[in-house]
Amino acid sequence: MPTSEHIVSSFDRDLEGIQGLIMRMGGLVEEAISDAAKALDTRDVELAQKVRAGDAAIDALDQTINEEAANIIARRQPIARDLRTVLTVFRISNNLERIGDYAKNIAKRSEAIIEHPPVEGTGASLRRMARQVELMLKDVLDAYIQQDADKAQDVRERDIEVDQMYSALFREYLTFMMEDPRNITTCMHLHFMAKNIERMGDHATSIAEQVMYLVTGELPDDERPKANAVPMA
Amino acid sequence: MEDTDMNDMLMTRNSVGSEDIKISARHVQVFYGDTHAIKDVDVDINDKTVTAFIGPSGCGKSTFLRCLNRMNDTIDIARVEGEILLDGEDIYDKRVDPVQLRAKVGMVFQKPNPFPKSIYDNVAYGPKIHGLAKSKGELDEIVEKSLRRAALWDEAKDRLDQPGTGLSGGQQQRLCIARAVATNPEVLLMDEPCSALDPIATAQVEELIDELRENFSVVIVTHSMQQAARVSQKTAFFHLGNLVEFDDTTKIFSNPEDPRTESYITGRIG
Repeated sequence: MPTSEHIVSSFDRDLEGIQGLIMRMGGLVEEAISDAAKALDTRDVELAQKVRAGDAAIDALDQTINEEAANIIARRQPIARDLRTVLTVFRISNNLERIGDYAKNIAKRSEAIIEHPPVEGTGASLRRMARQVELMLKDVLDAYIQQDADKAQDVRERDIEVDQMYSALFREYLTFMMEDPRNITTCMHLHFMAKNIERMGDHATSIAEQVMYLVTGELPDDERPKANAVPMA
Repeated sequence: MEDTDMNDMLMTRNSVGSEDIKISARHVQVFYGDTHAIKDVDVDINDKTVTAFIGPSGCGKSTFLRCLNRMNDTIDIARVEGEILLDGEDIYDKRVDPVQLRAKVGMVFQKPNPFPKSIYDNVAYGPKIHGLAKSKGELDEIVEKSLRRAALWDEAKDRLDQPGTGLSGGQQQRLCIARAVATNPEVLLMDEPCSALDPIATAQVEELIDELRENFSVVIVTHSMQQAARVSQKTAFFHLGNLVEFDDTTKIFSNPEDPRTESYITGRIG
């Protein structure tokens, strides 16, 4: 948020308005992640369906935010921090929209998995991973609204944990599939779901970088810490 | 944030002003001698809305603005045809007194032009000649209310007896706005009100215009299309005496219908 008010107060209202929409969108996306993982873990088809249906509201907010931000550029000619505020709104909205799509995909795959017998322990570990990403998203949105670059950097560094969780799950699913070919269908779905969550983490990281750009005017130039790539064999 | 707050905020932000029509112009033509300055213009000005007229120099935007309170009457060679209705009544009707009309449809000019009198007298002048105050107390109230509406009260209240010409340019322009609102007009016409002001004074006047819209219908001529984009809810683009396009400001500045509008606002034609 700008450090002091504009002389033209309606400009402040415009900027606060789109940032408010981002926060609302963030809330819906957090809920979608949490519900999608819970639906898988508790084998709740109804909840999975709710997540799939809920994506439309997230997409609609993304569109509204894009339109509002375009109007602000056309009508207010924002510069300096105001310009960065509007630019980051476009990108963060896009990140959130993609996270929403991944949650929707997880919900869709959950519905498919529920038709098959469960593979012991897999739902809970995926839910832990989703929880980790959900917390990253929550913290990065807090960092955004508090304009806290340090907090954003912290979220950025935490993505490595999600990458590690993904690698571990990948190995685990591989083992299950080798043990019993009847697990293949379920574990293929689970793998895509884990990959989806890993991608959500990347989008949360991207939001963290946008917060740093918003506050400092510069994107972080250091290489982001990454876990070792998934073993290819 | 609560949903209701958010909805309120969106409503405010997306507001295109009132839908009630204050001024309705039909087939308006203006001639200066042999020059055809305004060609068959139809436009509706909404109440409690800021409407901006934009266009290159000589496009007719100021000429048309001056039709709205019969300022063109003062120019001998000017001839106005067509119909301009204020609340449904033809302002060019013979029975209409132009002086009374101009109290209802006030005007603020490009260059701040306070009278060579005190700040108080500048604002009190209109109400006095129109007999709007019965006593000194009432007049004092009108002066204070007008200066407050013009966001000048805090700066001027301790120097009401000092000459208006001693104020800064931005303050002088706000004094002229206070003078215009003192007669309790329904419409305020502004002809390039910020072109003689620095960016901060401009922002203050723009904030003021946004506040004035709660009580008045404001029509502003500006050669700064950025200003039109910032302050108005409706924008009319004039070119060579024609009204090319008239629509919501957001629409005009994000996706205009007419290629001439797009060329002008994007800096491709002058």
